[in-house]
Amino acid sequence: MDTGRRGRPVFRVFKAPVSTAVLPHIDAVHPGPRRRLSSWQSWGLVLLAPYVVVFAVFVVYPVGYGLWLARHPASYVALADDPVFAGSVANTLLFLIVAINFKMIFALLLSGFFVNTRAWIKWLSVLFILPWAVPSIPTILSIRFMLNPEWGVINQVIFRLTAEDGPNWLNDRWLALAMAMLVHVWKSLPFWTMIMIAGRLAIPRELYEAAGVDGASRFQQFRFITWPSMRTLYLTSTILSMIWTLGDFNSVYLLTGGGPADLTHVLATLGIRYLRLDQVDLAMATIVCAMPLVLPLVYFMMKRLSR
Amino acid sequence: MASVSFQNIEKAFGATKVIHGISFDIRDGEFMVLVGPSGCGKSTLLRMLAGLEEISAGTIAIDGRAVNDVDSKDRDIAMVFQSYALYPHMSVRDNMGFSLRLRKAPKPEIDARVARAAQILNLEPYLERYPRELSGGQRQRVAMGRAIVRDPKVFLFDEPLSNLDAKLRVQMRSEIKALHQRLKTTTVYVTHDQIEAMTMADRIVVMHDGIVEQIGTPLELYDRPENLFVAQFIGSPAMNIVQGTLRRTNGTAHVETPDGIRWPLGPGVGADGQPVSYGVRPDHLELAANQPHTVPAEVVVVEPTGSETELVVRIGDAQMIVETHGRPKLAPGDRVTFLVEPGNVHLFDQQTGQRLSA
Amino acid sequence: MKKLVTEAKLLLIGIPVAIWTLLPIYNLFIFSISTKSEAFSGKLWPDHPTLRNFEIVFREEHHFLGFFWRQLGNSLVIAIAVGVLTLLVATTAAFAISRLKVRGGRVVLNCALLTYFIPAAFLAVPMYKAMGTYGLLNNQWSLILAMITIASPYAIWVLKQASDKLPFELDEAARIDGASPLQLFRLVYVPLMAPSLVAVGVYALLLAWNEYLYAFLLLSNERDVTLAVALGLFLSADDSPWELLMTTGLLYALPPAAIYYVFKRYMQSGLTAGAVKA
Repeated sequence: MDTGRRGRPVFRVFKAPVSTAVLPHIDAVHPGPRRRLSSWQSWGLVLLAPYVVVFAVFVVYPVGYGLWLARHPASYVALADDPVFAGSVANTLLFLIVAINFKMIFALLLSGFFVNTRAWIKWLSVLFILPWAVPSIPTILSIRFMLNPEWGVINQVIFRLTAEDGPNWLNDRWLALAMAMLVHVWKSLPFWTMIMIAGRLAIPRELYEAAGVDGASRFQQFRFITWPSMRTLYLTSTILSMIWTLGDFNSVYLLTGGGPADLTHVLATLGIRYLRLDQVDLAMATIVCAMPLVLPLVYFMMKRLSR
Repeated sequence: MASVSFQNIEKAFGATKVIHGISFDIRDGEFMVLVGPSGCGKSTLLRMLAGLEEISAGTIAIDGRAVNDVDSKDRDIAMVFQSYALYPHMSVRDNMGFSLRLRKAPKPEIDARVARAAQILNLEPYLERYPRELSGGQRQRVAMGRAIVRDPKVFLFDEPLSNLDAKLRVQMRSEIKALHQRLKTTTVYVTHDQIEAMTMADRIVVMHDGIVEQIGTPLELYDRPENLFVAQFIGSPAMNIVQGTLRRTNGTAHVETPDGIRWPLGPGVGADGQPVSYGVRPDHLELAANQPHTVPAEVVVVEPTGSETELVVRIGDAQMIVETHGRPKLAPGDRVTFLVEPGNVHLFDQQTGQRLSA
Repeated sequence: MKKLVTEAKLLLIGIPVAIWTLLPIYNLFIFSISTKSEAFSGKLWPDHPTLRNFEIVFREEHHFLGFFWRQLGNSLVIAIAVGVLTLLVATTAAFAISRLKVRGGRVVLNCALLTYFIPAAFLAVPMYKAMGTYGLLNNQWSLILAMITIASPYAIWVLKQASDKLPFELDEAARIDGASPLQLFRLVYVPLMAPSLVAVGVYALLLAWNEYLYAFLLLSNERDVTLAVALGLFLSADDSPWELLMTTGLLYALPPAAIYYVFKRYMQSGLTAGAVKA
């Protein structure tokens, strides 16, 4: 783009010797008109309008209304008094810390596995996407049935191997929570693995070839080439994954329904629980309480992505 | 009649002013080249003419009609972009006929005009191909074909040859020139390459830092540059310049440089003691035996190119380029003398850079 | 020898991964081809595989399945509507922001991004209340509009990223050729964006098909609900025919898997590109 350099020009303006003034009367100094571009600008506004309307009607208004519903301090007191709330906060935090790290580390490691070009691995990577591509209900319900203490596949296998009954997976708070985390990982791991694979493929081959010549072991190659290149992606993915995990309703709801005895609720499912108990203001208050966790992460992601 | 007129054009991007008041006219049918180093504002000026940039101040007129408020599509112009800007999803034929299709012209007319343009540019075998299947030169021709089909009042070219390799560039230069001679449409052509400017233009506008340095025919700019910038920009290899002081005594004159060399000069120009820039083109230094109007030199490098020989020589403290015909028997370290005809000397005021004319 | 060791190591990873990935889906499949008694015996493969379950589902022969076809149709119609309308909303917005450089475009893009990042589960309750205010509860349009709201932000983001790769000179050339904004949109922009449009459309479609929470919040009439919600309704009863539930679930899971694989090429490049950039 032509941008003139600042500073006084050394040479003066030179008038063309053959400057003709044969043009009929034309208006003198004409400021650059905005009018000429207005048809393009107005079309821009027209084409932007559908989304703006959608946003205003289905985001701004609901959010505003929701915040208004959450305005009573009494709601928050009630929440603080409710042991279910405290429990779900703890569950949520546990979920975040354990499930996400578990998931991201596996995504990173599996991405190394899946970049292999063997035919059977390629086929496997195609199948690997299935958990993410198929809807939650059938699959999570399927897992729920697998975990049924009497006739579920898991306990059947345990019985056959050890002649003992397997645990009642979904009836113990910590086991159930762990299972919910596993379900979450099962569902979301393929997506993050795909992201990691894309990140790995962006690393130039020559770096590995040079390292190989220099005599680096596999681990050293990971430490000095792969990890530095993937570090930012890994961090960003982890943050984004935290946001989505906070919002994972299906994994808990469809597996445990929040039970046993409301002990496995997380913030995402808790709101619905209150809604079903017809305590809308508590539902909204729960969501507001979740915001201090969500918003800093969102802010981080916004800064990264919007230039 | 399709003249173009720029009157007091100014352009600012935000607070940064890039064009500081430019005025000149282009005659109907003229091939006008805007040339200058990167950042001088030539492309910006062209884009203002095209209607792709707003005009901060001033008036642009096409055929006597002010077009400041006129949308690009109504200015009756066509533009060839540096990167061709061909529509990748359309065939060559559709690319060329696109503007007519937008105007809902009848199909027979579109076909006829596309065929004519294809014939002029030798694109007939490629009409059904897609841009990705074409070479750079072919794509450039399609871009020109698209412009020709429009049959506009003015052709605009924005550095169209920059993306081509050297050999292709030479070929396309003459093709564009031949096209202009055939169609006789007013053309405004932007380039940073002064050789393109010299070979193609009817007249050249030399631009620098948002102002016009000089306007003239190629030979006018070559023989009589009005300032130091133009003198060094036009001509390859560039003009040799030394800084010195004018000495005028008893009707004779010379320029004295700090290293003691006396540079030959004709009578009449400048005042004694005036600091000047002394310029002489490489092909105006002739090997000659000791005579008046000569300077002593030492050969540094000899570069034969076959028909000519380029020499890098040392004259006093200055290093200069000399172009001689044939193959003089010279070797590095030789001491020789060069004749400078006073008529071939270009003298500029050292401070302002303006030419000192008789 | 080294080759064998490497192969063994890879298999050591590959086999567990395969089992982990496929086990729940395999379980789903087993249930759907087993009779009621066999399903609960925990066998790894039924002694008498049967298609009878599918027959029951297709013929709506159980009171829980009374509206199977209707609900399947609802899921389909809603998913397609969401796909098409999201595409419309997002493409026009991306065009306005990226090519027309409309004023306020960046603000809108940031708003969209914000909506994308806030988890949909937290927007569900406010959305439910708002739809109540609008009088749209139990109307299929409430689900369609809610899903468009959720799918559009990411769609706009992906399309904008893809748009930015198109050289701006194409727009300039079209303008000089005489194109109006709509002609530019129709004849140049949309054809060149076709692969991204496919990815975005499929994304929105799958999102709507797979959705559970919003569907069950916003729709309650048995005739109008989607198949997802119907499956959820199975859970509330005590003596539900689990094997029929699994069969229906399998049927419900097949279309998205199939669609994803058909459009895999577009999906992978379209959806991961934006992410890797970060």
